[in-house]
Parts: sequence; structure tokens; C-alpha cells
Amino acid sequence: MSLFLVVALPFLGALLPGLMNTAGRAACAGVTFAVSLAAFVGLLTNLPAVLAGEMVTARIDWIPLLGLNVTLMLDGLGFFFAMLILGIGLLIITYARFYLAREDNMGEFFTYLLLFQGAMVGIVLSDNILLLLVFWELTSLSSFLLIGYWKHLPEGRQGARMALTVTGMGGLAMIGGMLILGNIVGSYDLSVILQNRELIQGSPLYLPALILILLGCFTKSAQFPFHFWLPHAMAAPTPVSAYLHSATMVKAGIFLMARMWPVLSGTPEWFVLVTGAGLITMVLGAVIALFKHDLKALLAFSTVSHLGLITMLLGTGTAFGAMAAVFHIMNHATFKAALFMSAGIIDHETHTRDIRRLGGLRHLMPVTFGIATLAALSMAGIPLLNGFLSKEMMLEEAYHTVLLDSHWLVPGLAVLGSLFSAAYCFRLIGHVFLGPVRDDYPHKPHDPEPGLWLPPAFLVVLVVGIGIAPFLVEPFVKLVTASVLGGTAELPYQHIKIWHGLVPALYMSIAAVVGGLIVVSAFNPLLRLWDAAPRPEAKRIFDAIIGGVVRLSERVIHGVHNGSFTRYAAIMTVAVVAVGYHAWATGTVGPATRVPQVASPVQIAGWAMLVAATLGLVLLHRNRLLSLVLIGIVGLVVSVGFVFFSAPDLAMTQLTVEVVTIILLLLALNFLPNRTPIESTVLRRTRDAVLAVAAGVATMALSYHYLLRDTISPSISEFHLANSYKGGGGTNVVNVILVDFRGFDTYGEIIVLGIAALLIYALTEALLDGPVRARLLNRKPTDPRAGDMHPMMMVVMTRVIMPVVMLVGFYIFLRGHNEPGGGFIAGLVVSIGFVMQYMASGFAWTSARLRYPYHGVIGAGVLTAGLTGIGSWFVGKPFLTSDYTYVRIPPFQEFELATAALFDLGVFLAVVGAVMLSLESFSRLARRAHVPDVEHPMDIDPSRDDPPDPLQPRTEA
Amino acid sequence: MLSADIQVVLPEMVLAIYAMIALLGAVYTVKDGAASLLVWITSGIFLVLALWIGASNGTHIAFGGTFVDDGFARFAKVVILISAAAILLMSEGYMSRHGLLRFEYPLLVALATVGMMVMVSAGDLMSLYMGLELQSLALYVVAALRRDSVKSTEAGLKYFVLGALSSGLLLYGASLTYGYAGTTVFSGIIEATRDGVSLGLLFGLVFMLAGFSFKVSAAPFHMWTPDVYEGSPTPVTAFFATAPKVAAMALFARVVHDAFGGVVGDWQQIVAFLSVVSMFLGAIAAIGQTNIKRLMAYSSIAHMGFALMGLAAGSAFGVQAMLIYMAIYVTMNVGTFAFILSMEKDGRVVTDIASLQMYSKREPLKALAMLVLMFSLAGVPPMVGFFGKFYVLRAAYEAGLGWLAVAGVVASVIGAFYYLRIVYYMYFGEDKEALDPGMSPVLWGFLMGSAVVMVVGVYNLFGIEPAAALAAASLVN
Repeated sequence: MSLFLVVALPFLGALLPGLMNTAGRAACAGVTFAVSLAAFVGLLTNLPAVLAGEMVTARIDWIPLLGLNVTLMLDGLGFFFAMLILGIGLLIITYARFYLAREDNMGEFFTYLLLFQGAMVGIVLSDNILLLLVFWELTSLSSFLLIGYWKHLPEGRQGARMALTVTGMGGLAMIGGMLILGNIVGSYDLSVILQNRELIQGSPLYLPALILILLGCFTKSAQFPFHFWLPHAMAAPTPVSAYLHSATMVKAGIFLMARMWPVLSGTPEWFVLVTGAGLITMVLGAVIALFKHDLKALLAFSTVSHLGLITMLLGTGTAFGAMAAVFHIMNHATFKAALFMSAGIIDHETHTRDIRRLGGLRHLMPVTFGIATLAALSMAGIPLLNGFLSKEMMLEEAYHTVLLDSHWLVPGLAVLGSLFSAAYCFRLIGHVFLGPVRDDYPHKPHDPEPGLWLPPAFLVVLVVGIGIAPFLVEPFVKLVTASVLGGTAELPYQHIKIWHGLVPALYMSIAAVVGGLIVVSAFNPLLRLWDAAPRPEAKRIFDAIIGGVVRLSERVIHGVHNGSFTRYAAIMTVAVVAVGYHAWATGTVGPATRVPQVASPVQIAGWAMLVAATLGLVLLHRNRLLSLVLIGIVGLVVSVGFVFFSAPDLAMTQLTVEVVTIILLLLALNFLPNRTPIESTVLRRTRDAVLAVAAGVATMALSYHYLLRDTISPSISEFHLANSYKGGGGTNVVNVILVDFRGFDTYGEIIVLGIAALLIYALTEALLDGPVRARLLNRKPTDPRAGDMHPMMMVVMTRVIMPVVMLVGFYIFLRGHNEPGGGFIAGLVVSIGFVMQYMASGFAWTSARLRYPYHGVIGAGVLTAGLTGIGSWFVGKPFLTSDYTYVRIPPFQEFELATAALFDLGVFLAVVGAVMLSLESFSRLARRAHVPDVEHPMDIDPSRDDPPDPLQPRTEA
Repeated sequence: MLSADIQVVLPEMVLAIYAMIALLGAVYTVKDGAASLLVWITSGIFLVLALWIGASNGTHIAFGGTFVDDGFARFAKVVILISAAAILLMSEGYMSRHGLLRFEYPLLVALATVGMMVMVSAGDLMSLYMGLELQSLALYVVAALRRDSVKSTEAGLKYFVLGALSSGLLLYGASLTYGYAGTTVFSGIIEATRDGVSLGLLFGLVFMLAGFSFKVSAAPFHMWTPDVYEGSPTPVTAFFATAPKVAAMALFARVVHDAFGGVVGDWQQIVAFLSVVSMFLGAIAAIGQTNIKRLMAYSSIAHMGFALMGLAAGSAFGVQAMLIYMAIYVTMNVGTFAFILSMEKDGRVVTDIASLQMYSKREPLKALAMLVLMFSLAGVPPMVGFFGKFYVLRAAYEAGLGWLAVAGVVASVIGAFYYLRIVYYMYFGEDKEALDPGMSPVLWGFLMGSAVVMVVGVYNLFGIEPAAALAAASLVN
């Protein structure tokens, strides 16, 4: 049968049990059994080819670009494992049919079981390591579903969590290892990888790959220090424990180590890591197993111990070790599965798994007794049973192994492990079956129906059969060993036999069994000692590590992400400075192409003022009024700077903007306390200062660097200077740029300006009825109000100056095209004139005299500018092409008329509207609905009978 | 000439004009009454546009190179449009149940989508910035959509201020680039870097990269992400986690390859650094999270780290890996957020992952779908998420960034912890009070659909592989 079918059958068959659920339990189990049997038979049809030493392969391209193909191969090792998986699977299915209670959902269980089985078969038949990874994780997933099958058992949860966490993470680590391995070789096909031992072991990435792959293997096969999850996963139903945790899944790690043996083994790293972990696991597992009272926990730790034994054998890297490992895998699968099933029977019958509550079952359950005893004795290494043979080989191998320059370390520990192993086997027999019959079992036991005891009985027949006639399986073991070795070493010449003569292994074996008997006879005092002795509990350590990691992560993250905006800004600043530094450090700094100018005393004075004002601002920023003054100074120096650099337009703009801004800020200050309270600690301010200085210095260095170097293309100033008059008809280049060259930009800008003003209006409109305004109005001013709301001098001044301001604005507007000025500046100047009316005469007085709403002014401005632009379409030119002509109307001199002036008018209107609308919006917040505004700001007429109220706050702008 | 140019940007124009007309129309008529209808219409238009764009081919350049319509842009656009449509459809029920369904919402999403489409098609620093800002401004608003919630407002404000800072940085970088390349067109910049980059250009590059990192929320420019994810209404969070990430990542790829493709060595280290920091920060930070929205925020940071790993490879294969990764990431997130959107207890929104305890017992099918999605997010084979991870790991490894690939594996191992913890809660938690049963058919459909994709997709990744290869080839050559 095609290998594809062997792998696919369990997956396809997984649909059936769910569908058969309603047809009854027997049908459910029957169909599952049939599917497994079909796959098993399919596997057996390939046996002749395997025996002939052929490699059976099958291949379909899946995602070739990734190197991921469905390639399967079957050699001795794969056949061996597939046979174990499917064969024991058949027994487990039979057993589960009778084990599961009536109310359990059998369809669900068998579906998961078949999924798992398919994944396991997939692992052992994969010829592509990526495909192997896929199946590897599928076993994690399906085993997770199986373990979680009994959802009502609370103790199962912890175990499932650990199993999931440990094996899941191990599997992910293995992805990395496989990736490296595949890249070293250049192929992800196992058959290719296995041919490249030298290439892999010579690669500098050998060690990382080895560690990552071993992480996957060790976590899956519960090797030290990951041995703790397996016993805790035992809350699953017994068929699951027997199948997953003794015969198949936990052997996946072992399988992979055996699979990779030809290319990974033989190096000191491999030897120390694998043998070391295996030895520790073997001894540790055996010792803990002895003192476990839960039957399944005992078996679980014994499994851990035996897996350690196999790992240790694989680690030695010798052909004999590999053969011993293969043989022990086979033997362990038989006796351990039988024991698990026996434990399940005992649990099923007596309703307890606590060894302390059992005893004397020999009389009540003779069949179970026979099965379990034979299996346990095999595990203890008693002759004529298969466990003896492989244990003997292990001791033989250990005897020749030198670890850390010690000839005694490995043999000594191996004997110790065997000793405890024998001890817990004897305890199992002695404390469960021997002894007097008790009368306090939770449930009166008797032997179960044959369906439950036949599967383990079958396994025990194998145990005894192999034990008595090892020569029957020897060719097969050697065949499998040959495929493990993969041609890198000679097959061992030794034969598997019961009697080797008086070799050291025999003495070690005798010592172990005798020692085991002594230990078990002194069990009670030893148990007291064990209970009293402090020992690290792996589960508690695991929980502590997880808890610690979670707490650490929380602490780190709460430190970084505490919601504080300043912290975010600080991190961002650091990051930006860091990337800037990276660029500075890695880039090549070219020579300076410009000569620095010599600073004149005036420049130095201006610079000193700028620096002094800025520093003063930083130091005094808590006093808000003072900082406003200092900001004003900074603005003024900048304006002067523009003048110095021959940019009068910019200077004028800056100056007018400065005035408007200060007025706006004053308005805001009116609502705020005089001083900013100190909320941050000295430490934080220091941090911020350091960051600010770092960022400032970096910016300065960058600017300095650029000032000394030309950009790649020449400055665009030349073009504008040359074309300003010729093309735009104006000698003020800045204005011509604004209204002509970049007229479209300006058009967009005035629209944005208008939208911004409208938004401010809309926002304050929404706030007018809100709690914010109420709080603003109810605030207590820190300083007493000045009594005079509308100081006479100011009112008179503003009204007198108003026409002058308008005239100046008009003048600036008109001269803009050729001299410094223009619509933007004119708009600001006129706005200042208006604002002053509000400030001096009050809101009501001013708005009563206002004929056009500011929205309208903005709209008119944008429309004017837009229509001007559209006008150029009528003469066949693109949008906003300007034109100009010279006219002469006597008695004036010849003057210029440009369409640009019309556009500038639009700018002017939009600026006036936008500035006024925003200022008006802000000031409306402060108006009190219930206090009428003073109608007569100039309260100088004594005949009128409404004296000013000195208590009324001066809230108008 | 102009008509040919317009032909190229027609999909973007259609969407933009639709958004504007619908906005004005709704303002002057029924306002929020039209919200539901607009959601459906908008997602319908998204899907039609996705079909339209997906069906076209060739490389078209419009407006003097400022707008490029090539395979790469189309791949990204289709992913963006489909995910945006999915998120819109998913959000309708949630938004109207919580009184958040304003008519501006679908239209802002539409405008943001226009911005994203311009971003991925940008062939010039100016169109790049225009698209980016159009997207960002729309997103700032939707982040603060729940105006009466302090958290939502705070989220919007933080996002805005930090976003403005990053935009400023980006502009600074762009102007430096212009100054030292003499042009803003990518094809011109790559010419200018033929003989290596000057310091000026290098600064331009790194500042632009910093700006992009903010948009893709790569550490250490990620700070806004958890707060914004947590504070925004959940559908908006779902949107943040999907389409804008694709757009920003595509833009990132576009700039580093189209404009700076000749000097891979100058940005490779930075991108690799961003990648490794993001992966680890995302993985470690999420461990302690109990709020599923915050958890997804860190998860997205980690995923962006992986996507950046593909980009760090600096090869066509790397870009292909990144595109595949993003497409898979978006699909997983759509499903996961479909589930998060349905998390309610007594009609109130729940975001604590402890509320998922023993979910499998009550809702086995949905729990199974979440299990698949979580495994996929963790990158566990054979879920589709694994393939995404595998692509980027291979791309990085083959580009000689072995250390980055190994770091990525370690980060994915750490990151698996919190995805598995959600699964653990659902299957083995303690039995506590339950979430409300039931789920709207739309959400259910997206959850199940996404989970099925994660399993069935292993067959051939739904053929996105050749499409991504084509897209990558059109970008890197």
C-alpha cells in the first residue's frame, strides 16, 4: 500500500467515529479499529521491501519554494515506530472501547485518537523535516485535545497547561533548529540531510542547531530538565496515558534523536548533552517514582526514567548503544503499555489509584495480577523477560562509557537508576497485589471483562516471548539499528542472548535487583526520610518560573508603558537620537564645501539675546506671564534675524503673527492660573533635561553639518530672482512666489486656514453648553480684577487708530507685489486693528458694529482667490496663471494691474476672517450668559445712570 | 496625458469622490440614520474595487512618476480593501449596539483607505506623504470616535500628538532626502544613490525609517499602540490591527526598495534592529497582559517584527515573505477580532481574558475556531500562520541574517506562551461566570471563515504565493 495511504488513512478515518456516534459504542470503536487495522496492514505490505533493505519512498510537491514537500520514506526505523504506533493503537482502541464510561462521548474521543495516530505515523514516515515539523506539532495539538478530553477533572488542567507550554515551546524551538539544518545542507529532505554528516558537524551553526533540535526532543520526551510535565499530564483517561505517555508520543523525541543520529551524534557536544540529560533523567525519574503513591504517577515517573535510559544510550554514540536503545524502545513499549492498562483496570475496578489504599488484589483479580506482575518484573530486569535483556545491554554499554573523565560516573549512576527501577517495580507488585485482602476498597474489585484484559495480556505474551527467545527478534532489531546508524558505523557483532557469561553487566544487574529488594523492604523508613527531606518540586518550580516571568514582564511593561505621555515622548526622543547617531557613525562625512562666515558683533548680540531668552524661558516657564514675555523676545529676535538676512516680508509676517499670537495667548492665560504647578520629581526633570540637551545638541550638530555643505542641486533662489519680474510682473520675489509661482499652494493654505478657524468655532460652539465652560466661569481669579473694564485711554486710542490701521493695511496690501508687504501681512495688520476694538470696547459693542460674519469673510476670500484662478481658464491658460498689465489713468502715474492682486485680496480676506473667527470663538467662552455686556464702554458720561460694576470681571477680549 | 493619468488613479478617485459625496449627502439629510446603509455600501465598494484592482495587470505610472500602479501596489491594495471591508461589516452590529454608529465612521474608514491606497502606490515622497497623512488624519479621528469615553479620547490624543511628531520626523527626513538627492521621485533617488549615500541622504533615510516605524508600530516607536488599541472602540482597534498595518508595511517596503534599493546595506541593519526589538518586546510584554485588546496590541507589535524580518532580508524573496506574512496576519486578525467583538457579558463589553475560562464547554465550535487561530498566531505548524513565519525566517536566513532568524525563533517561542494561555483558559480554566452566548451571523461567519482558512490554507495558501512573488518581483529588480 502506498505510504500516502498509510499516513492519510487515520486522518480520513478520523471523520468516521464522529459520524458513527449515534450508531452506538461498538460501531464507533469498530470503525476506528478497522481504520487502524487497514493502516497497519498497509504498513505490513511494505515489510518485504524493508526487510530487503530498500527505502520505500513517495513524493508530492507541496510548496516547493519553501522546500516543503510531502515526501515520505520507510526504512527499518520508520517501520519499527510505525508498527509500534499502529499496533499498540489497535490494542488501545480495543481497551478504550470497554474502558470509557457510557456517558463519555466516544465519537469525539476516537476522532482525536485517530488524528493523533495519523500525526504520529506522519512523524515517523516523513522524509522532509518541515513535514516532520508539521506532524510534530499536530501531535501536540491532538494530544492536547485528548488530554483535555476529560474536562471535568480539575487536576487535569494544570497538567495540560504544562504539557502544552513545554512541548509547544520546544516544538517551536525545533523549527529554528530544522531551519538551520536545512540551510546548512541546502535541502530539507531527510534522505539528503542524512548523507551530509561532515558538512553539518563542520558548520559553525552546528551547535545552535543541535541545541534547538534537542530542545524539541527533550521537551517532547520529558528529559531533564523538562521531565516534570509528563507525570502531570496523567490526569487524562488511562487509554490516553497508555498510548501517548508510554508508547508513542513521548517516544517522538527519542525517534527524532535516533533519526538524526547519523548526522548529529558522535560529537562531544552531543555526547555530553544527550548522555548527561539521559543519565540525570533516568536516576531522578526512578527515585521519584519509588515514592509516588498514585499508581499512574509511579508509572509516569518510571516512563520518564526509562526514556532517560534510552536517551543516554543514544547519547553514547556507539553502534552498540544504538542497538540497545532500539531494543529497549521495543521492550519498554510492550511492558509499559501493559502496565498502564493494568493500572487502568485497577482504577476502573477499585475506583482508586492510591497504592496506600490497595493491596491484596492478587486474590480478587488474579488475571490482572498475572499480567501486571510479569510486566513489572520485566521492567525490573528479571531474567527470562525482555526487560532483562535490554537492561543488561544498557549496563554493558554504561560500563564502557567515560563521562567527564570518570570511569565510574556512568556505570555507577546506571546501577543506581536500575536499583531504584527494580525497587519501584517490587513496590508495585508488593503493595498493590500482595499482602492481605482489605475490606475498605472504595469499590469491591474483580477481574474485568476480557475486552479490558486481553490487550495487556497480548503484550505480556510478547514480553515473555521476547524474553525467552530473543533470537527471534534479533534480526529485526539489527535491521532497525542499521537504519539508525545509516551507514556511519558498523553493525554491532554482539548477539542478544540471555546468558553472556560472568560479565560486569551481570554483576551490576544483580546488584541492582538485590539493592532494589533491600530498598523496598526498608520502604517505610525511607518514605519518612523522603517526606521529611526538602526537595525541589518541579511543578512548583515551573509555576514559580512562570509566575516570575509574568511578574517580570508586568514590571518591565508597566515601567515602560505606564500611560504617561512624557515617558512615551522620552522613549521616542531617545530612539530618534539613537538612529541619528547610527547614521552619523556609519555614514561618511564629506569635506565642508562652504566657508563659514565671520559673525559680526550685531549677530553675536542677537544670538546672545536669543539664547538668553530661550534659556530664561526654560528656567522661568512656570511663571506664565513672564514666559509669554520671553516668547515675545524670541519672536522679535527672529524677526530681526529675517531683516538681517534680507527677508523683510518674512520679518513683517513674523512680527504680525507674533502680535496675534501673543494676544491669543493672553486670552488663554486669562483662564489659567499664573503659575504652572510642579508635578514632576527632580529625577524626572533631570532625565528630561538630559534628553533635551542630547536632542538639542544632535540637532545643532546636524544643522552645523548641513550649513557647511552644499545640497546636491543649486539653490532655487536664482530661478525666482531671475523670473520674478519677467514672469510674475513683481519685484517682491517672496510675494510673487506666494501669489504666482506657488499660487496653488497658497490657495490650498488659505482653505486650510479657513477650515481651521471654522473648526475652532465648531469646537467652542460645542463647549459653550458644556461643563468646561461652567468651570471656566466659576473659577476664582488669583489676583483681584482691575476695576476699570474699559480704560478710557485705550478705548480712545483704539478708535482713533482704527482708520490708520486700515490705511496701513491697504498700503501694505497694495505695495506687496513689488515691495515688502502683501495680502497675508495686510490681513494680519487689519486683524490686529479689529482685535484691539474687542479688547478695548468689549465684545458686545464690537459685534454690534460688525456687518459681515467672519464665516462669510473667509468664504469670500476663498471664492475670490478661486475665481481669480478660474479666470485664467477663459484665456486658455492653466488654473491660477497670472497676468499683468500697465495702465495709466491721469492724473496718476503709470501703475500695474495684476491678476495676482485679486488673488492676494482673497488671501487677505481669508486671513482676516480666520484670525477673527478664532479669536472671537475663544472669547465667547468667557462671556456670561446672564450678565449683559456694557453697552457704553466709554463710561464718561456722568449724566447716565449706570455706574460701572467694579466687581464684574473683565472677561471680554 | 491627463486622461491616461486619471485612468491609473481611477480606483482611488472613485473611492475619494464617493466618500466626499456621501459625507455631504449624509450631513444634509438623515445623518446617523444612514450609518448602517453607508457601512454596507462602503464595504461593497471596497470589495468591487478589490476585484477591479485584482483583475488589472501591468505596470502603469502616472503623474510623472508620483503614482505607481504595479503588481506590488495591487497586492497590497487588494489585501487592504478586503480587510477594510471585512472590518466594516464586522463593526456594524457592535457599533450600533453601543450607540457609536455615526455616519462619519464608514466614510472616515473610506478616506483612510484612500490614503492607504495612495501610500502603497506612492512613487514620490510627496504623494507618499499625502497618502500617509490622509490615512493618519482619518485614523486619529476614528480612534477618538467614542467621544464620551475618557480612554478613547486619550487614545486619540496620544495617537495624534505622537503621530504628528513622527510625521514631522518623516518630513524632515524627506526634505533631507530631497536636498541631497535633488529629487523627490523614487526613481531619481535611486539614481542619486548609485555611488553610495552621502551623510545627508543617510540622515534622510533613517529619519524616514523612524517615521515609518511609528506607522507600523515597530519598537521602539510603538508606544502609542497598546494605549490606542485599548482605548479605541473594539472595531476601530480591529481596523488598526489590519489594513493600516499592511499599508504602512507596504510603504516601508516601497521606499526601502524603490528609493533605496541600491544601498541595502545602509538600512538592513536598522530594519533588522527594529525587527528584533519588536519581536521581543511584543512577545515579552504580552505575557503579563490580561486585557485581550492590549494583548493583541503587543501581539501586533511582535508580528510587525516578523514582517520586518522579511524586509530586512533586502531581497525579492524577503518582500514576498513579508507580503505573505502580512496577508496571513490580516486574515488571522480578522477572525480573532470577530471573536473579541462578540465578547460580552450581560450586554456589556468584556476584554478580560479570564472571562474565557472553560469557554470550550459552552461553545465548543467557537472555542475550537479560536484554538486554531491562536495556534496559527503563535506560528504552530501546520496552521497557516506557521508558513508566514517560516517564509520570513527563511528569507532572513538566506540573506545572511542567521542571528536574526534564530532570535525570531526564540521570540516566537516566548510569544507562544500567551497565545497558548488563551487556549488554556478556554479549555482548562476554572468554571466561572460565562460570557453571553450567541454571536451575530456576520461575526460568526468571519470567525469560522478565518479559522477554516488557517487549516485549509495549508493546501496551497490559496495561491497567494505566486501572486506575492509577482508583486515582489515588480518591486525588487
